[in-house]
Amino acid sequence: MSSSEYNKKIFWKSLKEYHDDPAVFEAKANEFKEGVTDDFNPSQLNSLSRRKFLAALTASAAFAATACTDYRDKGEIIPYNNRPEEILAGRANLYASTCTSCSQACGILVKTREGRPIKIDGNPEHPTNKGKICTKGQASILNLYDPERMTDPQNGNIAVSWASADSDIISALNDSLANGKQVALFTNAVVSPSTKKVLDDFKAKYTNTKIYSYSVFGDDTRRAAWLETYGTTEYPSIKWEEANVILAVDADFLGTEGNFIENTRKFTSRREVVNKIDVNRLYVAEGRMSATGMMSDYRIRISPSAQFEFVLALANEVLENSSVTLNAEVKNLIAQTSLTKFAGGQSKKLSHLVKDLIANKGKSIVYAGDTLSKEVHLAVNLLNEILGNTALYDYSKVSKSLQPSSSNEELHSVADAMNNGNVDTIIHFDCNPVFDLAKSFDYAKALKKVKTVITLTEAENETSVLSTYSLPINHSLESWGDAHVKAGVYSLQQPVISPIFKTRQKEAVLLTWISGSSSVYNDSIYHKYLIDNFNSSIYSKKNSLADQKTFWYSALHDGVVEFNETAVQNSFSQVSFVGLSLPERAAGNTLHLTESYFIGDGKFANNGWLQETPHPVSKITWDNYASISPSFAKQLNLEMNDLVEISVNGKQLTIPVLVQPGVQDTTINIELGYGRKIIGDVGKDVGFDANIFVSLLGKLVYENISIKKVNGTHRLTSTQEHHSLDDTFVKDFHRIRKIVQEGTVEKYKNEPNFLSKEVKKHISITREHEYTGTKWAMSIDLNKCTSCAACVVSCNVENNIPVVGKDQTANGREMQWMRIDRYYSGTPDDPITSNQPMLCQHCDNAPCENVCPVNATNHSPDGLNQMAYNRCVGTRYCSNNCPYKVRRYNFYNFRDHFADAYYENNLTAMVHNPEVTVRSRGVMEKCTFCVQKIMEARSDAIRDGRELKGTDVITACQQACPANAIVFGDVNDEESDIAKIRNHKLAYHVLEELNVKPNVTYIAKLRNTHSEEVI
Amino acid sequence: MSSADYTQELSVIEGKPGFRELDDLFTKPLDEKPNKKFYIALSISGSLMSLLLFGFALTIYYGIGVWGNNNPVGWAFDIVNFVFWVGIGHAGTLISAILFLFRQKWRTGIARFAEGMTIFAVMTAGLFPLLHVGRPWLAGYLFPYPNQHSMWVNFTSPLLWDVFAVSTYFTVSLIFWYVGLIPDFATLRERTTSKIKHVIYSVFSLGWRFSNRHWQHYEMVYLILAGFATPLVLSVHTIVSFDFAVSIIPGWHTTIFPPYFVAGAVFSGFAMVQNVLIFVRKIFNYEHIITLDTLDKMNKIMMVTGSMVGYAYAMEFFIAWYSGVQAESFAFLNRALGPYAWAYWIMVACNVITPQLFWFKKVRRSIPIMFVVAVFVNVGMWFERFVIIVTSLSRDYLPSSWAYYTPTLVDGMILLGSFGFFFTWILLFTKGLPVVSIAEVKAVVDGAQPSHKAHK
Repeated sequence: MSSSEYNKKIFWKSLKEYHDDPAVFEAKANEFKEGVTDDFNPSQLNSLSRRKFLAALTASAAFAATACTDYRDKGEIIPYNNRPEEILAGRANLYASTCTSCSQACGILVKTREGRPIKIDGNPEHPTNKGKICTKGQASILNLYDPERMTDPQNGNIAVSWASADSDIISALNDSLANGKQVALFTNAVVSPSTKKVLDDFKAKYTNTKIYSYSVFGDDTRRAAWLETYGTTEYPSIKWEEANVILAVDADFLGTEGNFIENTRKFTSRREVVNKIDVNRLYVAEGRMSATGMMSDYRIRISPSAQFEFVLALANEVLENSSVTLNAEVKNLIAQTSLTKFAGGQSKKLSHLVKDLIANKGKSIVYAGDTLSKEVHLAVNLLNEILGNTALYDYSKVSKSLQPSSSNEELHSVADAMNNGNVDTIIHFDCNPVFDLAKSFDYAKALKKVKTVITLTEAENETSVLSTYSLPINHSLESWGDAHVKAGVYSLQQPVISPIFKTRQKEAVLLTWISGSSSVYNDSIYHKYLIDNFNSSIYSKKNSLADQKTFWYSALHDGVVEFNETAVQNSFSQVSFVGLSLPERAAGNTLHLTESYFIGDGKFANNGWLQETPHPVSKITWDNYASISPSFAKQLNLEMNDLVEISVNGKQLTIPVLVQPGVQDTTINIELGYGRKIIGDVGKDVGFDANIFVSLLGKLVYENISIKKVNGTHRLTSTQEHHSLDDTFVKDFHRIRKIVQEGTVEKYKNEPNFLSKEVKKHISITREHEYTGTKWAMSIDLNKCTSCAACVVSCNVENNIPVVGKDQTANGREMQWMRIDRYYSGTPDDPITSNQPMLCQHCDNAPCENVCPVNATNHSPDGLNQMAYNRCVGTRYCSNNCPYKVRRYNFYNFRDHFADAYYENNLTAMVHNPEVTVRSRGVMEKCTFCVQKIMEARSDAIRDGRELKGTDVITACQQACPANAIVFGDVNDEESDIAKIRNHKLAYHVLEELNVKPNVTYIAKLRNTHSEEVI
Repeated sequence: MSSADYTQELSVIEGKPGFRELDDLFTKPLDEKPNKKFYIALSISGSLMSLLLFGFALTIYYGIGVWGNNNPVGWAFDIVNFVFWVGIGHAGTLISAILFLFRQKWRTGIARFAEGMTIFAVMTAGLFPLLHVGRPWLAGYLFPYPNQHSMWVNFTSPLLWDVFAVSTYFTVSLIFWYVGLIPDFATLRERTTSKIKHVIYSVFSLGWRFSNRHWQHYEMVYLILAGFATPLVLSVHTIVSFDFAVSIIPGWHTTIFPPYFVAGAVFSGFAMVQNVLIFVRKIFNYEHIITLDTLDKMNKIMMVTGSMVGYAYAMEFFIAWYSGVQAESFAFLNRALGPYAWAYWIMVACNVITPQLFWFKKVRRSIPIMFVVAVFVNVGMWFERFVIIVTSLSRDYLPSSWAYYTPTLVDGMILLGSFGFFFTWILLFTKGLPVVSIAEVKAVVDGAQPSHKAHK
């Protein structure tokens, strides 16, 4: 062995190598095995040198480290060790239930995430509201998480246990039974058959009980009138969808009265201009300016005190050729009236109205407002009979009356009994009579004479502070229940969260007292009671093949059970007209008290979302006011914010005025529900308590009142600047700038292209985005929008939009992503109103995007104008450059802006939708087209292995809109509704000439007047 | 007047002060201990500056909500102040660079001071873009730097151009100023008796030995920097005007903005320089250095630029009408007749009408009158920015979102405080550095340069 050989082979790895196999040499020559370096091509490598790369890496790491320093530990996140069967983390569960915000009992779907309710939507299966729900219903979720709810039973100011409170109360009840004193139970309208049964059981146990049911607003007057003319209080529904002509007699049936969600759906189904022209004609005769009035084709200004005469005068005009034979007395009464009295510049409208009513006999409806007197309702019933409009009464859906409302006489007599010491115990069953009841009863004073006052309430109120016992009850979302409001529709309510505080179901509390022992109470006491009642009253009716349990669960799943319950149609009686005479009409002013659009009768005064929703007409938030006509304001030398003193029957109230175009000259309108004194921080001292004027419950029109200017002002905050209508400088800008485009049905029929007559070609000098896949877009039909604001509140809840308070709203810093703009044209006395929901237009050439210095707002490939909140530094440049001014800036940390840190508590924070980032201060935000819903739909589509369709996504506003005015979808899908709508002759974009290419299409409003001109 | 000999260039320095005399004159404020008046002035400006600090502290702690800005009016005092102070910063570089290139010798007496004002005005202005953002702690996002998100700034945003334009302008102005100071630092080094000062001056004079080579290099550098700075004078305010001109808001979206803003900036810059110099020449006895002739010339520039601004106002109205765009014509009518008409007419009165007084020689040469006129010009120019920014935003396209803007106390504090900030720097400058360029003035004293006449 030579030395070289020896050296060579010191180390060998294989025998092949030892034997100098050429393959080994070959392999050794190439450092890497063949194939390993195939993909390695130095020219394709990044030209970044290693040094540079390391430098960049180090810098990035340093920046990343610095960027992470503001991480703050906000508490623990605990995973489910034992996952509840129905909960999948990150997926929402929906539960069908029933809304208890008002007495209409709409079906709702409660969306819960990880056991926590976060959103209330309408239940699509429910026959009444068909998937839609009003502002109050949606915002009521905030009340669940209200930190100012009552947490424990209280005896005076001392928290006590339920057991001791129950035993004390039971013995008090037994005492009064023994003493023969009265037990008075006050409740609002009862819509639940099971609650009714509990009340009856209570009455059976404590036989000295009397039940008083009242409501400040409601259909009591309508029922009373119906009873007189048709012999029953159960009046039928109206087939709005079949009416060609509608006359609303001071009836806000699209705003606050009846089930306005259902009314809106039916009414707007006849405001169809896209696929076909099918438009009804709405006349509104009113003194105030209501949401319904804004929708009217013809609006006739008539004081609410003159409505009786007005309706009779109409009857006089249409009496000829009527099939109804009238009594001599009625004829005589009608003959005394004359329509010419109401002409006053409106004669043209009146003659149109009379002609239309005659031409549409049996196809029109006259509808009186809830707030008007019984006489007006009688007259309206008569007028409908004369016109043969009874064909539009739907007797299959009569309004049920479970617990008749107490009359004013009954309420007076109980007040007297209280004062005389004949009432021993009073139970306030979730109602607030100290605030609500007519002040003539002097209920608060009478209450002091009663030994035991028990108030079941969710939060402290004017009544509970005067009570011996205040007992906290469950929020609606923590409660079981049922409702039977309309014949044939039975809704079920189920809890979606266990009680947050030591609260109890209000019916369960009564059941405990009925049992006579505090130990009887358990969590499911009312649940069982409800099931029993359901089985006996509903299951038995349905003849279902399913067994009881299955049927119950399926009903609970659906939230509603329907059955046939058609009422008999009673004949019209004219007896009630005997003795009626035309009132002597005084020349003075009339005060019309109406329900607040959003806080109801005051029940929702502690709900920031509702307080901050702008009034549909005046756009005022956080206040009520006396709205007066412009000419009356001139006469009294009044301007907006000036204080006036209004006196009615010796009661005075100082309240700011709002000069409201369109108000009848002698009418003063104030909304009730405001001026709550004992309530949480949000609602305290918001507005003015005009309930003091209510001398009799249900009487909401007061004549001959006096009004005078007093010193001082009170700042009303409106989300829209109030421009004087007669200021020619800014008049009709919405028309001149083509923000709102309108026409009439006549015009459209004669000239379908009237909108797009002058087609302007806009050219872009920059490269356009290309949208090859999905491209999101929305359309809003201005014919349908009633400005009910359901979309606004839905958006608030879905997108975690903070409440900013009155001071910030006054400063123009409200945060709502969606707003409804209101414009007037015409004259101040007789304005034409146009409403326009306005939200981010997601422009293709978005002017906000190119000015953001940090690229925080940019465009997605599917056409969304996006915001990267964590990139936003808050220069506000995007908002300045937005022609639609839809961007919203967090001027403060609005979550803790309130001095009392209203938002900054663990409870309220639970209302947040976990899918939507909570924005910090200094960040710009805006409508995202509900990108979280788009993403959810997309991941579902991917999971299911199908294409994402435009219809898979329903935005929050679209979901809420009771008029179905909003359509959302993929414009690149040529078959989709949205694609068709965008090419419609009536479709237009706001500020088209800016060439920002918005993706929200508006359908021009066609007014159904006898003219080709809008004005 | 008729006896003036126009064939002979008049000296820009009155009298014929000797070089040593000039050295003494210009270094005197530096050698002496500050007097009581200085401390009073400093305490006033310092108090005002503390208002600024307090105002900004409130803003950073609570948020932009402490200002009056609201939804349509996203920018108000913040950007008004920014544009105002950037405008003030224009005179300095114009005087030192453009007038240098045009060989305007009268600039020598005022150039140093005007440049100093530029630096301080731009510093004041620079505070606003950084602190007007909602989250100032993230203002770093406005600068392009490599990061792990591959997030880059948006080069199409005029606000970003602002960042570059203003920082470039500041850097170049600072260098230009410093280069001009080098020979003076050397002079100071030679004169001082204090050891510490000697070290400082030595460091800053970069080893200057007044050699011929040094002078040659110096002249060349100065010329090049003047060439650099000249386009910047025009570009900065042009780019600031892009903030508005590039947007689509009626009243902002105007092509006339770049020249109009530059003219306005020169206008206000000269007014501010004139105001401050009137005090400086009096207090430091520089009346023969910063002569009435110099002030007269500055007043003429004010008159010219003021008239240009007035022309721009008129032209805006004309174009708004001529364009036939309703929103555009309304924006301008609204300025003159709308809710902010008061601000508009203050602007017109101060900017268009008062400078016309400078047509009269007596007015141009009367110190009290010219002072008052220049104060009006400054007020007017502040209101010009207010009118442009606030009135346009408060009433733009959709009448539904119109709103009136009212400033808050904090807005007022910050506005006043910005003056405090600016004048504190000015005061410290007068005690820290020669406010007139010693070397340059020596060069323009009558007889300083060799001439045929002198040999006669």
